[in-house]
This record gives sequence, C-alpha cells and structure tokens, in this order.
Amino acid sequence: MALTGVQIFKLLPKTNCKKCGHPTCLAFAMKLAQRQATVDACPDMSEDASQTLGAAAEPPVRTVVFGTGAYACTMGEETVLFRHEKKFVRPTVIAVRIADTESDSEIEATLRAVADSEIDRIGQKLRIDAMFVENSSGNSERYQQVLGMINASAPEVPLILGVHDPVTAGAALKQVGDRKPLLYGITSSNAERMAPVAALWKVPVGVAGRGLAALSELTQKVKSLGISDMVIDSGVRSAAGILRDNTLIRRAAIRKNIKSLGFPVITFAGRDDAMLEVLAAMLGIAKYSAVVVLSSVEQWRNLALFTFRQNIYTDPQVPMQVEQKIYTIGEPTPESPVIITTNFSLTYFIVAGEIENCRVPAWLAVMDCEGMSVLTAWAAGKFTPVKIAQFIQGSGIEERLTRKELVIPGYVAILSGALEEKLPGWTITVGPREANALPAFLKNRNA
Amino acid sequence: MAFIEPKETFPGSIYTVTLGTERTVTFGGENVFAFHGFEGKIPHAPVIAYEVQDSLPDDWPPAVHDIYAGVSGDPAAWAQFCQDELRAQAIALRLLSTHPDRGDRSASHAAKTVSDVLAAISVPLIIIGSSHIEKDAEVLVAAAEAAQGRKCALGKAQENNYKTIAAAAMANDHLLIALSELDINLCKQLNILITQMGFSRQRIIIDPMCSALGYGLDYTWSVMERIRLAALAQNDAMMQQPMLGDVGIVAWKTKEAQAAESEMPRWGSPERRGIAWESMTAGSMMMCGAELLIMRHPKAVASLERFSEELAVQEAG
Amino acid sequence: MLIIGEKLSIIAKRVREAILHRDKMPIQDIAVSQWKAGAGMIDANIGPADEGGESLMEWVVTSIQEAVPLPICLDTTNAAAIEAGLKVHNNIWGRPMINSTSNDPERFPMLELAAKHDALIIGLTVGKGGLPADAEERCAIAAEIMARAMEFGVPLENLYLDPLVLQIATSQDHARHVLYAVKMFQELNEPAMKTVVGISNISNGCPKHVRPILNRHFFTLLMHEGLSAAIADPHEVADTVKTLEVIQGRTLYAHSYLDMQ
Repeated sequence: MALTGVQIFKLLPKTNCKKCGHPTCLAFAMKLAQRQATVDACPDMSEDASQTLGAAAEPPVRTVVFGTGAYACTMGEETVLFRHEKKFVRPTVIAVRIADTESDSEIEATLRAVADSEIDRIGQKLRIDAMFVENSSGNSERYQQVLGMINASAPEVPLILGVHDPVTAGAALKQVGDRKPLLYGITSSNAERMAPVAALWKVPVGVAGRGLAALSELTQKVKSLGISDMVIDSGVRSAAGILRDNTLIRRAAIRKNIKSLGFPVITFAGRDDAMLEVLAAMLGIAKYSAVVVLSSVEQWRNLALFTFRQNIYTDPQVPMQVEQKIYTIGEPTPESPVIITTNFSLTYFIVAGEIENCRVPAWLAVMDCEGMSVLTAWAAGKFTPVKIAQFIQGSGIEERLTRKELVIPGYVAILSGALEEKLPGWTITVGPREANALPAFLKNRNA
Repeated sequence: MAFIEPKETFPGSIYTVTLGTERTVTFGGENVFAFHGFEGKIPHAPVIAYEVQDSLPDDWPPAVHDIYAGVSGDPAAWAQFCQDELRAQAIALRLLSTHPDRGDRSASHAAKTVSDVLAAISVPLIIIGSSHIEKDAEVLVAAAEAAQGRKCALGKAQENNYKTIAAAAMANDHLLIALSELDINLCKQLNILITQMGFSRQRIIIDPMCSALGYGLDYTWSVMERIRLAALAQNDAMMQQPMLGDVGIVAWKTKEAQAAESEMPRWGSPERRGIAWESMTAGSMMMCGAELLIMRHPKAVASLERFSEELAVQEAG
Repeated sequence: MLIIGEKLSIIAKRVREAILHRDKMPIQDIAVSQWKAGAGMIDANIGPADEGGESLMEWVVTSIQEAVPLPICLDTTNAAAIEAGLKVHNNIWGRPMINSTSNDPERFPMLELAAKHDALIIGLTVGKGGLPADAEERCAIAAEIMARAMEFGVPLENLYLDPLVLQIATSQDHARHVLYAVKMFQELNEPAMKTVVGISNISNGCPKHVRPILNRHFFTLLMHEGLSAAIADPHEVADTVKTLEVIQGRTLYAHSYLDMQ
C-alpha cells in the first residue's frame, strides 16, 4: 500500500542532513510519496524502514529501462487512467521493426531513416526511439550479421531483440548485451531456458502470453525465475483487442494493485495499410502502450505520431506554451497593428485563429508569461508595463513599423496609461476582452 | 489466485439519436466508453458526414480541394457527388458564405441552398452556419424552415444565440448542435438553458469544439473524456447527449496539412500528411466518444471507417 | 479563526480610483467597515505595482492604520513595496503579514523580509510554472517552502500555508484537493502548521447570487478541516465563523450569539 508523505517522514532519520539532495527529511518524504525520489538516496535509513518503504514505494506499473545513455527508454510509473487526472508520465516509446529476413539494403535504408527521423516540435526533439530487431529467419548467423550492421551504423539507438531461441539470444547478447537491449521472447514454452540468458546479461525481458490470465501466470513464473524487469504482451493485434487488454491491464495494475500485470505493455501496430497503421499506433499511444512497434519509418507518419504523443503526454496542470516572439498573421505591413497577448498556447491558438479568420493582417506579439492567461499573468506580475515594454523594445518590431500601435487585451485596460509612458512613440489601444470580439474590433478600426 | 478481469459498468448511458427521414442514420445508445464493447453495449457505430460548402473551397489545400474540383461550384451537385460517388452516410452543409467576411450572403439565399441540397440527396443533412453569432441566428432560422420535415441537425447554437436557433429547430422538427468552446461547465450550462426552453434533451448533440492534432487536441481530448465520464459514471442527464467532432475544418487548416513538400522537406508527402492529420484528429475524437464526425477527404474517411470496424469487432478473450 | 478582510483590492474600481487620486477616504471607509464586521487584519492588495510601489504601500498602510486598530496583510509581488510597508507598519495592533512567498525563487526575497522584520508570511504552495495537481503535490511544495523558511530564519509558526484555491467554474476537482491539503498541511509539523486560503477565489466567475453560497459552504468545510485564517469578506463569513465556533464547542452558545462581536 502507498504511504502518505507524513507516514514516510516518521520512518526517516529526521537529521535534515541534506545528503539525499533535499533540504529536509520532510521534503524528501514528500518526494518519496510522489515517487519523485527513491529510498536509496538516504544513506542513514534503518534496515527496517528501508524495507517498509521499498515495498510501499514500488509504483503500480513497474519502471523498466532499456538502452543506455541519453537515448535510454524509460517506461512504466503510470498512476492514472485518464490524462486529466494527473499527467501520463512516460511517453510511449516509438520503435520500428526490422526483420532479419529483409535484404541488407532494405535494412540499411531503415537504419538511415531512423538516424534521420529527428523533428523539432514546440522545443522538443522527437525521433524514432528504438528498433525492434526480429529474428524472423530463425537463423542465428543471419541475426548476428544484422546486429553487426546495427552496431556499426546505429550504435546508440535502444534495441528490442525479437528472439525466441535461447541460443540465438545468448549469441545476440554477446554482441549487443552492453547496449542493454530488451529481450523480447519469453513465452510459456521457453521461459525456463530464456530466463537464465536474460539474467546473465542483466537485461529486461518481453513476456508474451495469450490472454490476460495466462500472461499474469507467466509473469509470476518469470519472476520466480529471478527476473523482475518485464514488458508484457497479451498477444492481441487487433484494435479492439489492444483497447480491451491495455485498458484491463492498466486498471488491474492501478485500481486493483495486481502486481502480476503491473508492467509496461508492448503493442505491435503493423498493418498493410499505412494509414490504418498510424491509427493503430495512435490507439496504443493514447491507451496505455509503453512501446508501439511500427512496420516502417515514414516522415509524414512520424510527424503525426510524435505530435499526437506530445498532445497526450503534456501535463494538463502545466499550460502548454508557445515561443515568445512576434508572429505574423497574413502579410502585415509597417502600418499594421501589433496585438499583444501571453504565451499560453490556447490563448495563442484562439487569438491567432480569430485574426486569421477576419483576414486583417497583423503582428501578434506573444510574450513569455510562463504559459499563464492574460489576467493570471497580470495578477502574478508577469504581464506588467515594464516587462511588456522591455519585450516590445527588445523584439526589433519597432524598426519594421511606420505606425506604432499596440493593441492590449481589454482585461488589462488598466495598463494603458503606464504603457504609454514606457513606450514613447506608441499609441496604446485597448482591445476587446475576449478574442471572439477581435474580428469586429479590427475591422472597425480599419474602416 | 485466479485472475478476474476488472471490467466496469456504469449507471448512465448515451441518448440514441436518429437523423433524416428517407434514409436515416442512428448513433449513440452506448453505456460504456467508446469501443468498450467488452464490458457493455454499443448498439451503433460512429457516423461520418462529408462536408459540403456553399461557396468555393478555395482555402482547402490541393490534396482535398482537387477531389471536388468538378462539383464544388454547386453545393447540390457536391452533396450528390458525396452521396452517390463517395457513399456518404450523411452530408454536412456549411453555410460559410453567409459570414459577413466571406460574402455576407443573405438568409434567404442560404435557405435556397438548403432546399437545393435537400432536393439532391436522400441521406440526412447536417446544417451548419458560419459561426458568426448574430448572422447564424438569422441564417439558421431560415435554413431550419427550408428543411422542415427532414429531421436535420442544425447548429451551432452557442451561449449567445441559442434561443433563436433552438426555437427554430424545435418548430421545424430538427435536432440541435450545441457548441461550447472547450469548457465542460459551459457545455452543461448550455444544455440546461436549451432544455429550459422546452427543447428535448434527447435531441441535442454536444459539440465540445474540435481542435486539430498538435493544435489544442489535448484540451478537446480531456474535455470529451470528462463529458463522457459525467454522462456514464455520474449519470448526468445534461451530459448524456452524443458528441460531434467537426474535424475537417480544423485538420485541413493546420500547417502540417497545408505546407508543400518544398517548404517542409522533412515532413514527407503533403497528401499523406493531410490525410493522416484528418484521420488522426477524427480518430482521436472517435476514441473520446464522438458519435458524429464531419470530414473532407475520402481516404481519411475510408481509413477511419476501417479503424472503427476494427475497434468494434471483439476477438475471443 | 483569523479573518483577513479582502475588500481593499486594486481589482475593485473604487479602490483603484482612490489609489490613483491618493484619496484616503474610500480606503479608510472600506477598512472600517471590514473591521466592524469582524476582520482581524486588512489585506492591502496593490497589484503588481512594479512602479512607485514603495510610496504607494507606505501610503496605503498608514491610511488604513489611521482608521482601524488592525495589522495589515501586505499584498503585492513587489518586494521593495512590501519592505516599505513593513517599515511604516504600526506593530501595536499586531504583526504584519506578507502576502506571499511560494516555491518560485522570484518570491524568496519575501522570506528574507519576513525574517528581518519578524513578520507573518503566507506560503503559497505553487512552484515556478504549473499548478499542483492534487493535495499530495501541494504538500510536497509546502515541505520545500518550510525548509526554505527555516533556511532564511523564519520560524515555522510565522508561516501560513496556502493551498491555492482555484475557481470551481473551471477547476472543480481542486476544491476537494484544497480541503484535503488543509488537513494534510497541519500534519507537516508539531505544533500543527497554520493554514490560510483566499475563500472567494472559489466562486470567481460564478453568477452573483451563487457566490456567497459557494463561499460560505466552502468556508464551513475548510473550518471543519482546521483552517487557521481566511482572506475573505467579513460581512459574508462572520455569521459562519460564529456559528461554527458554537457548533464545534469553541464558544458558549446563547440565543443572541450572532450579535456578539
């Protein structure tokens, strides 16, 4: 059972020694309760307390990591079923499948596409996170050959090894074991022989069973064989099956605290139809898959899936922010008005949309207020005459204008006097309070 | 210990809605989250309506614009094309040219367009104004009268114009689309106000405001999930209406659907990008509970229909 | 229960104009009216005041204390203005309060001022960017603020933890989180940490006739959880305070208990 921060605090040494990196034992206890710190950070904890806390601190969905260094993929740690409750923690790992039955040139092409997949979106660098390398040939030598190619040209991309044969797995791990791959390939028929291989190389495993009951039994068996880090696959491939099993697994882990299903889930989205595949991958991202495996790398599909993942995994408590700058709407001229607002992304989208719709070209000055809306930002001292003036004067917009008019949101009409003082040469106009009144306002102003 | 699947049932369910008279579409009626057929009943699949405009779609990017090149000058021909060639289940007519900035065509002109379109099709019609508060109040009244007896969905009624539009829908036997902009509390409030006029709560369709992938989709997503939670788990009679996803207009407006390959070489084929943007935006709405979707590209529609079928067929557990 | 009168706020047009013209009368009228209705402290909210905040705060503090024998809750993000207010504050009527610090480093200078002038201080449990999702996150931030307070030499009994009340119209779930946070905050120290909230925030944006109902019911639940202070309109909540104190057995019942000052 999870403990509250105060319950945890009572088990701590209460020395406030700061060795854990937190200012007090109380602050550390609160972080432990939030699972934002781990028990081992405290060097002075008693054995008893450590055991009690270790058990309590275990998240309902186990943390599993594969890959190494900056590109390592961390999965699990989720605590909710709906993103509005509290944010989804670990963005779905997007992997691409490479079969060792493909030709060398096909494989090289995929490796290049993976290396070239990085896209920058709202300040985040997004890319294909991992490769699922499948031993479809059943041939160990061919598999090693393919891993050799991957070692040579993609040494950093985290790997999932799709192998069911313990001998092939052993040989593969000799080659790539230090990359800490995920060994996907434990089933009820090979568990006893595969588990020692994984244990030897200390790699996490993928466990596949048909149906949730069988899967739950299998994870318990694997655990009894000495392996705790697992990613699970209930064997479903259809959209209906993915939605059902992923939902039931997440509920079992979070609401029922069923440890045998408290693991990250791997989903195979591969479809003959590329558009259907993007939708299946979307389903996985939205509905609790920790890894989604695609059949190929396509730029348009990456863009869509990375964007979708970003949407689903944003923290609903932290407002999405857009970059501080002067945006152009239509083709503004040196005579066009400058409309200012804050960088709360919803505010930005709505204001920009309204200006676009009425087809009056304008400069839209979006000011960094930590993603707050206009009124909140004003009250918090982030949207004040001094700061607005600094932003406008520092933006370089003044050189592009012959007529300097700044339209401020109606909610902060109170700022207009002070702004006129701070921005000499500017006319300050009080705009409407709500964005939907902007079109009428802008057009009347033009007339 | 044997594993017991943690299935959930709810006290609430969604109202069933039927549009049209000659040919009809029916949606809603489920008592679980979208596609959770494994733990409840889902009597109807989501319905996709093709979007038709009353003026040239000159701001649609080529990937979708060109499909309607031969018919887009005539809304009736366009609607007929969607019905006969694209096998549309329903048509959504957007009276965009009535907007003061888009041609400012009169209410009587709009009424004529509605009559012409209705004469050309037998599938149900969804009539949508230009989202100009004052003008819609006028245009949609005329449109409702012109469509009397065809049991259309009429909208969008908003906080500041719902009275006239709801009255016109009621008088002419239509259903009403009620729009609230990403605000679950206003959504409920608007439904309360509309039903206080004597309008049946079973004849309202909720439009929680669709946002495109990458442009506020996360907000729409959570508002829709919360609306559905209130309907099912809290059994809230004012939240149990089916939901609309007005997808095409927002998806095709995005930079990702508009930009040419020369402009964005790392983004891949603009056509597939656009179709993916519309499919994924629509797919998101559908997974959050939208039962009625308005879309533009036939390939996006086809993908979504296949996806919806795949989500509906239960494998043996 | 300490009621901190909320009516002297720049948000109100009457106050804004009085400040603009440096007209004492309306300021003093509002202060007196709140004092008579049961306020034990007056919140002086002068807004961000990043220009001329110092002289403004001095003027507001002296104007209020000319009229009522109460301490002031100094409410602005401008630290220099807070210090100016602290310097002229008449401590005969009680210690002043600083509104507020938080877990945002920009607000740490407020703790320094609280230590230097032995003032009370509100610790708003928010960090930089983003709101706390639930009571547990609020507690984690509270623990950070408490540690910071100790670092700056502010005794914990001078710190009032504020869980940040959000509008019910837009953030309904937070009402429950706030109630739970007020309960949990008290457990963070021995003796119990003090707590404060801005009550009327709950009903911001709601129709006028609903607001007092929401405010009073919310306040009742908060008092039940052990709230120590509230920034509120004393006219609105005085009866609630008196009634709750009777029900909870903290004051002796009499038929005319509502008429007691």
